[in-house]
Amino acid sequence: MSSESYFDWTARLFDRARIFQKPEALRGIRVLDMSLIIFGPATADYLGELGAEVIRVEMPRTGDVMRIVAPEGFYWKNVSPAFFAQNHSKYHVAIDVHRPEGQELIKQLAAKSDVLVENFRAGTLERKWGIGYRQLREINPRLIYVANTGFGQWGPFIKRASYDALAQAVSGFTAVSGFPGRPPLKMGIYIGDYFGACLSALGVLAALHYRDRTGKGQFLEVGQCEALLRAMDWTWVYAGLTGKNRPQVGNRDPSACPSGIYACKDGYVAVVAGRDEAFRGLCRTMGREDLLADPRFASPADRARESHAGTLDRFIGAWVQGMTRAEVEAAARQHGFTAAAVATAKDQYDDAHLRARGSVWEMEDPVYGTMVEHGPAPKLSETPARYKWAAKPVGFHNEYVLGRLLGLRPEQLKELETKGVIGKWTDRRGSKPPDDWDGEGIVT
Amino acid sequence: MSDLSWEDWIRQEDDPRGAFGKPEALDDLLVVDVSRESVAGLVCTAFLAELGAEVLKIEPPGGDPARAWGPPDFTHKGEGLAYLAEGRNKYYITLSLETSEGREIFRHLARRADVVIEAYSPGQMDAWGIGYRQLSVENPGLIYVAISAHGHFGPGAAEEMPEHDLTSQAASGLAFITGEPDTDDAGPAAVPTKAGPWLAGYAGGAWAAFGLLGALHYRHETGRGQMVDVTPAEGLMRYLEYTLLWYHVDGRVRERIGYYDYAVFPYTFIRVKDGWAFIAAYTDPNFHALCRIMERPDLAQDPRFSTVWARVQRENEQALRDEIEAWSLQRTSEEILEKVMADPGPGVVVFGRVESPTEVLSRENWWERGCFHKFSDPVYGDLTLQMPVWRMTATPPRVRWACRPAGYHNGYVYQKYVGLGPRRLAELKDQGVL
Repeated sequence: MSSESYFDWTARLFDRARIFQKPEALRGIRVLDMSLIIFGPATADYLGELGAEVIRVEMPRTGDVMRIVAPEGFYWKNVSPAFFAQNHSKYHVAIDVHRPEGQELIKQLAAKSDVLVENFRAGTLERKWGIGYRQLREINPRLIYVANTGFGQWGPFIKRASYDALAQAVSGFTAVSGFPGRPPLKMGIYIGDYFGACLSALGVLAALHYRDRTGKGQFLEVGQCEALLRAMDWTWVYAGLTGKNRPQVGNRDPSACPSGIYACKDGYVAVVAGRDEAFRGLCRTMGREDLLADPRFASPADRARESHAGTLDRFIGAWVQGMTRAEVEAAARQHGFTAAAVATAKDQYDDAHLRARGSVWEMEDPVYGTMVEHGPAPKLSETPARYKWAAKPVGFHNEYVLGRLLGLRPEQLKELETKGVIGKWTDRRGSKPPDDWDGEGIVT
Repeated sequence: MSDLSWEDWIRQEDDPRGAFGKPEALDDLLVVDVSRESVAGLVCTAFLAELGAEVLKIEPPGGDPARAWGPPDFTHKGEGLAYLAEGRNKYYITLSLETSEGREIFRHLARRADVVIEAYSPGQMDAWGIGYRQLSVENPGLIYVAISAHGHFGPGAAEEMPEHDLTSQAASGLAFITGEPDTDDAGPAAVPTKAGPWLAGYAGGAWAAFGLLGALHYRHETGRGQMVDVTPAEGLMRYLEYTLLWYHVDGRVRERIGYYDYAVFPYTFIRVKDGWAFIAAYTDPNFHALCRIMERPDLAQDPRFSTVWARVQRENEQALRDEIEAWSLQRTSEEILEKVMADPGPGVVVFGRVESPTEVLSRENWWERGCFHKFSDPVYGDLTLQMPVWRMTATPPRVRWACRPAGYHNGYVYQKYVGLGPRRLAELKDQGVL
């Protein structure tokens, strides 16, 4: 065995600087992204970060609504910063699928694709435009077609529209989160979309493995309400066995008491000391060894009782008050419990560890310049995930995609554009390039 | 093409009730899961096992300490409820990696495996001589998934602490931007707030499965395996949308804003006669639909609310939410949903009541969709479980059994993969290896 230390070896194995020298897991897989807003586009984005070629189809002129969904109405370089997170490394084409010629283009693209992602209401692509799974599988039986919705493709609720936070509400996720007696806790991000998309992409990869073995494509569906419901750990077993609702307990993890989020000198810190050794370590470092002899705190179950846990919460809260987050983390490391700073955007932005891991991802885009975002989550040693470029204005890659993939000649593209079947950005926010854009980044 | 409508046809093709007659996507995979005290590990292999993989769940003699996790005041037949929820379809064996015989048996299993999943402190498996560095020599096609708090590389990797869902939610950045702001009457609730369920664990588990399946496709193309490094905190981080970009381009640090929203409005929780509900109508056509349903066409003309941009200015969000509540408090959620569904358009209002778990379980929809199933398990009796999320036409996922006690499949698995008969197993058990 090598005498190299483990962390020297992993540093080499996962070296951020070598990502672009390495191959991509999904090279050669083409994804036709026929979707809107977040749930569909994020599914395609995750496949794209592993190397799939993603063709993002939007409506000519306006494009996707996320282009104008802007935090506090803040636009950056003529587009909402919220558009970028689920649209990396994609080829942006703008095709009007309401038009028969547009539907024909989609059929031709689907014939050359491995995966199709959409998140319209159930059956829309088939009923309205004749490009649903039943039509496309005739053209391409190897196609993996994933349809994301709120409530699925069939069943009593399919006529209902859905967004992420609706999924939080109707799945029970909201009811088991947050503090009792307070208004419902709305998660700070569109979790129903992003988590649902993650499960969609996972399902696509499982279907791809089956296709690698058999050559057969298939249809799969994910409902975002159903995705959140799936992610509620023991909630349902508990309700089934006891007939009771899991209580709201704020920041406590009832499986690991004491635990919570506490204010300290420079922000907030999360502390967990559930296991006996961890609890002993915490008491030692707090200078409260007396608690170890207290029968209220003898076992994990004793510590989890509401009044006992509340008492411990107050002790910990008082203890961390005068400390910095880093001091609490250091104490945890030394005494065998767990602590973590409640990270802000600035904390992460400045975090050398997260930058070295590519979890804070900085890149230079030819249209938008330097960008910093959260990077791909799983780190693959041989085929690392990556972002190549940022989202682009509406129809940015029309010529490249329709010319290269479908072999359309410039005069044909011109004609389609004149008819309004395909199109590009117009002079409106969200749709168009930055004002100072110099033409960089166009692929011909 | 069939005469059936899309809904009828697709239901016939992907209703989970028909799953058992069909093939499975991952039924050629052997997964060795040696993760312990890891929600992400538990969830990752639950997903893989639903999709057909043969998962060997290795626990230390005495069982994974996570078997005690769940509500503190309730266990079922000696098990914590978390393991019952995510233990599905796995084969349960015990093995002590602390013993050299145990490690030898593990190496044997890993030689046969397509995937190994572990959640030890980074470097621990390597120090034992059974990390990716060693296993990949004998099995170059192996996909080795490591789950930890801070990851296996990077300047902070050596400063490992045990991974926990709460600390991962904190480190992810999600907790900081979730919860009630300081400015209202929230009291002790005005703090960064975690999701109730183990969301970082679920995100980490999903990303681990996603990453290894990507690696699996690459192995199909090239024969080469690889290592996949996953942290639950980074798993949640990837869902944090524009949080970092906004800071990068505008210096803005997102904070807690309760039930308001930075980017879209209305997109909020409101009070209704029978509790709380969520309502959204943030694009112009959708907002006009809401004004129509509320019979308040004046709101659509009000300069505070007449554009997407104006509606997301915080003081306007507050004013608009007050207007909506003045209307919604006079009505039940059923009455409002009826109006929403009856509106002819254009535009769509999204509306739904905040429901408790027992209310969710009383709704026919979820049962009809196959989201839940009541199992009569030979070991654990009657259990209500959440079912796989994917509906698939060719390879539908399925749940065969809920969970099994630690070591339940020792005889079967060790006979099948290691050639160890009952007598040898008894000896190993006496020596504390199993």
